[in-house]
Amino acid sequence: MIQFFHVYKAYPGDPPVLQDINLNVEKGEFVFLTGPSGAGKTTLLKLIFCGEKATKGQILVGGKNIARIRESAVPYLRRNIGVVFQDFKLLPHRSVADNVGFTLDVLGVPRPEAREKVLRMLKRVGLEHKANSLPLRLSGGEQQRVVIARALVNDPTILLADEPTGNLDPALTVEIMDLLTDINIRGTTVMVATHDATLLSRYQKRTVRLERGLIVSDEDGVKAARRMLV
Amino acid sequence: MSVLSKAAYFWRSAAGGLKHSPFVHFIAVSTIAIALFAAGLARGASHVVDNLLASLGGEVEVTLYLAPQLGEDEVHGVHTRVVELSHGEVTVVPPEAALKRLRSELGDLGEALSELPENPLPATLELRVPEARRSPAALAALAKELRALPGVTGVDYGEAAVERLSAIARALSFGALVALVVVLGTTIVIVAATLQLAIYSRREEIEIQKLVGATDRFVKAPFLLEGLLQGLLGALLAVGGLWLFGRLLGPTLGSLFAFLLGPGVAAPWVETRTALELLAAGCALGLGGSFVAVGRFLRV
Repeated sequence: MIQFFHVYKAYPGDPPVLQDINLNVEKGEFVFLTGPSGAGKTTLLKLIFCGEKATKGQILVGGKNIARIRESAVPYLRRNIGVVFQDFKLLPHRSVADNVGFTLDVLGVPRPEAREKVLRMLKRVGLEHKANSLPLRLSGGEQQRVVIARALVNDPTILLADEPTGNLDPALTVEIMDLLTDINIRGTTVMVATHDATLLSRYQKRTVRLERGLIVSDEDGVKAARRMLV
Repeated sequence: MSVLSKAAYFWRSAAGGLKHSPFVHFIAVSTIAIALFAAGLARGASHVVDNLLASLGGEVEVTLYLAPQLGEDEVHGVHTRVVELSHGEVTVVPPEAALKRLRSELGDLGEALSELPENPLPATLELRVPEARRSPAALAALAKELRALPGVTGVDYGEAAVERLSAIARALSFGALVALVVVLGTTIVIVAATLQLAIYSRREEIEIQKLVGATDRFVKAPFLLEGLLQGLLGALLAVGGLWLFGRLLGPTLGSLFAFLLGPGVAAPWVETRTALELLAAGCALGLGGSFVAVGRFLRV
């Protein structure tokens, strides 16, 4: 589903952010991307949804080489990728339903159909009763669930989450992670960037560790969890 | 269905944009309204000047002075040639009639003319030039042809006055054009600036749109529509203003300037055609401004 071949990313005048990244994520897989701050986790996710361009190397997403993709084709690629941001990126003056439906507006889904999809998705994340609330009236965990609902409302094949629990307390963290696991069980490929070691040991998923822009380990969930405990 | 849904979204988004920053859009709409109101007034004034020129042009008359020794038949012959050349109305004024007219024009001093041993005035032909030949160039060409006729000793058509009037009309047209270009250019800049603010205030929304897969056209379309709506609203205000102006001040202005314009000359007024032109111009201004803003400030 996602393949990186000798990918580099560097900004002029700075040391490389990513170096010689080789990675293969299968369809329906759940992958943690971990490492200290500045290791390149966010940049790697950005490369997948064309938020950044690789300096060198090839990246295949769903069989398409996005290193060679035309600028005008980027929006169509993004429609198959849901992205969950640490800072939510919700529109404060629009209702929860409008925020979730934003993706469907872009796709030109007729309003009644969009409304139905939005309510179904809000029910799935347990927020159907907050459809008309404004995001700022919700808790951090609820806001993050709105973001997840927005990312999933058009049934993308890939979900990328950048520190989705970074601002949440332990109880809400579990709530969000359970939701992401459930989404993965239903067939969506999920990549979660996190530096929270407790998540890795609790959920025991494949873990790719980055340090200074290099992949230093790529282990299955049990092995990674065991290493965390040592 | 998707196209209709997107179109509906664009309209909702554009209308929402107007509601979102009412003051900024009020400035843009007012600027367009003022510019178009001024353009409408200038258009009305240009109608008045055109009418004035036409009425003055109607008085353009060419006088041909004939040689004193010409007999009645020869005068008739010249008359026929002048009609053929000019296709205008030609009146023969015999020397006696010319003297009588001069006497009446001089008033009390006219009695002095009785002391003259003989009538010094020649017979003349007075030519009322048809409308198609009233331009300075056409008049000059006609005068040259008439001077060449046998028996004609002189031709007078108020050359200097016609030239001056035409020069004034040309200067007015050029001045109006320059003013129009400056006003419209300024309006586009102001509309673009207000839309820049609108784009800035919605940058978060634009960023999220891009992240969830919006194309450039999808992001830009609501702003172009916003500009179009601004232009349309501004033009409607301008047309309304001109209509009110015509209704409230039109008759007063008409009577104030009646001495200059004459009773048949209309005061500035918004006609259906002008209103439609202003609406089209408003849309063009709004769209022009939004194209500039979107092109410069929305490099998505």
